[in-house]
Amino acid sequence: MNRKTIFALLVIIVLFTFGFLLIRDRINSQYLTTEIYSMDTLIEINISGADKKQATDKVVQEINFLNQKFDDFSSQSDVTKINENAGKEPVKVDPVTIDIISKAIECYKISDGAFDILVAPLSKLWGFKSNDNSYRIPSQKEIEQALKLIDINDLIVEGDKVMLKKIGEAIDLGGIAKGYTLDRIKEILPKYNLKNAIINMGGNILTYGKSNNGNWLIGIKNPRGDGIVGTININGSKFISTSGDYERYFIENGIRYCHIIDPSTGYPSDKIISVTVESDKGYLGDALSTAFFVLGKENSLELANKLNVEIVGFDKNLNPFFTEGIKNEVNIEKGR
Amino acid sequence: MRSTLKRGDKVIIFLLVVFAAFFAFEKYALSNNKISSVIIRSDGEIIKNIPITNNGEYIIKSKEGELTCIIKDQKVEVVESTCPDKLCMKQGWISKQGESIICLPNRISITIVGGNKAIDSTTY
Repeated sequence: MNRKTIFALLVIIVLFTFGFLLIRDRINSQYLTTEIYSMDTLIEINISGADKKQATDKVVQEINFLNQKFDDFSSQSDVTKINENAGKEPVKVDPVTIDIISKAIECYKISDGAFDILVAPLSKLWGFKSNDNSYRIPSQKEIEQALKLIDINDLIVEGDKVMLKKIGEAIDLGGIAKGYTLDRIKEILPKYNLKNAIINMGGNILTYGKSNNGNWLIGIKNPRGDGIVGTININGSKFISTSGDYERYFIENGIRYCHIIDPSTGYPSDKIISVTVESDKGYLGDALSTAFFVLGKENSLELANKLNVEIVGFDKNLNPFFTEGIKNEVNIEKGR
Repeated sequence: MRSTLKRGDKVIIFLLVVFAAFFAFEKYALSNNKISSVIIRSDGEIIKNIPITNNGEYIIKSKEGELTCIIKDQKVEVVESTCPDKLCMKQGWISKQGESIICLPNRISITIVGGNKAIDSTTY
């Protein structure tokens, strides 16, 4: 073989190697998209990279495991057992249940009670806990009665046991479980060879790694109209949660009553219509979006700055408000 | 010219041209895919993949119930549903990539994918 032939062969080998790598990269960088229904919502899992199949299987398994523990519609869950034994006896639960309840109590404290997992009796009273949409406006007396059952000090965690002190008290993890699950998923993903991932659990989003276009572009649902009201640029791995009055609500005599109840008044909160939180912890973002919705604009901005999370919200006139750190990353659509 | 190009050179040039074309096509296919499609899932499984330019009325069935959606002017809307809360109908039109309409009781999701203007997901 002369030099030229060797050179030609080398060029061919290099080209084919590049071609092969390119095709493999292309196949790996395509999302494996899986949709499952769990935690009373739709969960959309998009994972790319060489191990996307194995990672997706593990993520689905984790979601189903946590749902089994937290689902208050299932008779076998830890939450149901705690609620059924309220005022009776302590219940032995899984370590994850202890962990999420401890985090929920932490969120209660930092939000000064605006996020409260004991709000369940009130949600039930307004008809937001049943699947048949039996919404109604309770009487003032009923609300006062239910308010007596909302006292976080009655939630006792000791070792691996949990107890609610009074009969009728109940916990509902609906405002923290999805964010908490995303935290667990974020711990699972680095164990696999992945390019990136984006997981949406009923509006709570985990971005993992860099998006195929550099930054992630997350749409914010328009609280009063079609499609999205704007977008947020997200750099790298973050959690995004939103609470609004447009998901579950009813309107009576022209007044909108939404599913987020202010634990201090017993009435649906109506200070703002939507708030989105960007945070580094899923459980925190999930719980805080509810808390901010209850607190309203000024108190939310103050608390968000104190806790170092970014928020973008909309007041009743659909005017946006932001924390400084997110202002330049948010793009509100014109002509909405 | 003729004398300077050997057969081996020609083969290499030919291969380079083929690969350049291949790379260019790959890039083109990736970035200039202008037509979005509407992906419809029932109970988590894809049951329809419709180009958004295919105007029409589509009836989607799941184990839990059914809904009717309309694709018109590159937008999608649910106009009828057997679900109790009708949240899917209240959601109105969607038109951008990454936007979706979800009917939880019926376990049906409608998502727009592909196209140029992209959002990765929507928070709600």
